[in-house]
Amino acid sequence: MNISKLLLSFILSITLLTQTSWAQIASTEAIFKQAETLSSKDKIIQFTARQDVAKILAQMDVEPAMIKDRVAAMTDEEASKFANEIDTLPAGGDAVGALIGAVVFVFVILLITDILGLTKVFDFTRTVR
Amino acid sequence: MMSGCASKEPLISTERYNSSSIKVPFVAPRSDLCGATSIEMVSSYWQSITTYTPRLSKEELDARTLIPAKSGTLQVELMATARANGLLAYTLAPTLDALLHELEQQHPVIVLVNRSYSWYPLWHYAPVTGYNKKDQTILMHFSNRPNEAINIATFKRLWERSGNWGVVLLPPEHLPASASSEAFLRSAYNLEKTGMREQAIIAYKSALQRWPKDIDILFALANAYYSSNKLTAAEQYYRKLLSIEPLHPLALNNLSDLLCHTGRQNEAMATIKKADSDNIEIQSIINATQKKILNGCTLQASPKK
Repeated sequence: MNISKLLLSFILSITLLTQTSWAQIASTEAIFKQAETLSSKDKIIQFTARQDVAKILAQMDVEPAMIKDRVAAMTDEEASKFANEIDTLPAGGDAVGALIGAVVFVFVILLITDILGLTKVFDFTRTVR
Repeated sequence: MMSGCASKEPLISTERYNSSSIKVPFVAPRSDLCGATSIEMVSSYWQSITTYTPRLSKEELDARTLIPAKSGTLQVELMATARANGLLAYTLAPTLDALLHELEQQHPVIVLVNRSYSWYPLWHYAPVTGYNKKDQTILMHFSNRPNEAINIATFKRLWERSGNWGVVLLPPEHLPASASSEAFLRSAYNLEKTGMREQAIIAYKSALQRWPKDIDILFALANAYYSSNKLTAAEQYYRKLLSIEPLHPLALNNLSDLLCHTGRQNEAMATIKKADSDNIEIQSIINATQKKILNGCTLQASPKK
């Protein structure tokens, strides 16, 4: 309870600080929000999205020293997308590693579909078309 | 949106574009790191033909993109890392047209493909390095094979499984061939928001060469100059914007603020009086600026206790 209150007041103070120092300047952000500036509520949601991203990266075995930089490199929209859709977002990687776990059946099917030009799982296949 | 009518498209779009072959240096993907190596290949391409210098080392690219538990790289982190490397990341419209258009202008495109089916997805990033019109093939640095020629029908199948996702990474002086002004501005602003304001300013300026009267780009450039305390340049672009759209409330507001800060209180007041908006939030900003000018242009640090 105490911790969450502390956190909330911290977030609020940040929001207020940024608002007082920039109160008179309309930010470029306004263009993208159909000429609406961000409300404090949006700011809090985006702030917590970044915290979620940091937590997820840590759980997914990312080097702890890199987490801060990686979170900082994302825009608010990217951080929200990351935090909300991490389970379904595709991660591009190496086909060979993922294939080691595949059963022979899958292997053979994908080999055939490769040759038919429907997939391209293996580097060595040439399509018949 | 992908749909069943995709089969008619290739006849139209592939005819329109010429063959292309882009000399992108090849790097074999390190284990699970095709995201990092794709950025590395495109970065070294730009380094080889422009004054661009990468800001991150190979090791940093790897450490910023890999998610071990996912055995790969997410699209958002590929974009974020490309920006951190000093490049503007622009997501293409999800069409073969956009892809071929970029290739024709010698812009390599990083695509996400699913090498397999959705029931056993094998996601892979690869830079597309060209198009052969005669053979109807797409060339790409695919996995361990440099400039692999892939039948366009096969390519389309692999690519549509990712929703035709493709991105160009460009030094901020270069514009994507297929860009719309709104989407490009967003990409440039993403650079500014993630700590690359200098690059963003270059990108806004190159955008103005293609879209010289775009209000939003002028506003973004003026603000970026104002934020970096380049007041003369900021004022020049606010005024340019207002010469096109004299009652732009946000520009009037920001220019008044600038005038106020540079000791021109009377002009600031005359300017803010022209500003008016139906939007409550914008109107409250305008009111606050007006109040500040009345108070002799000192920011009132309202002691909220």
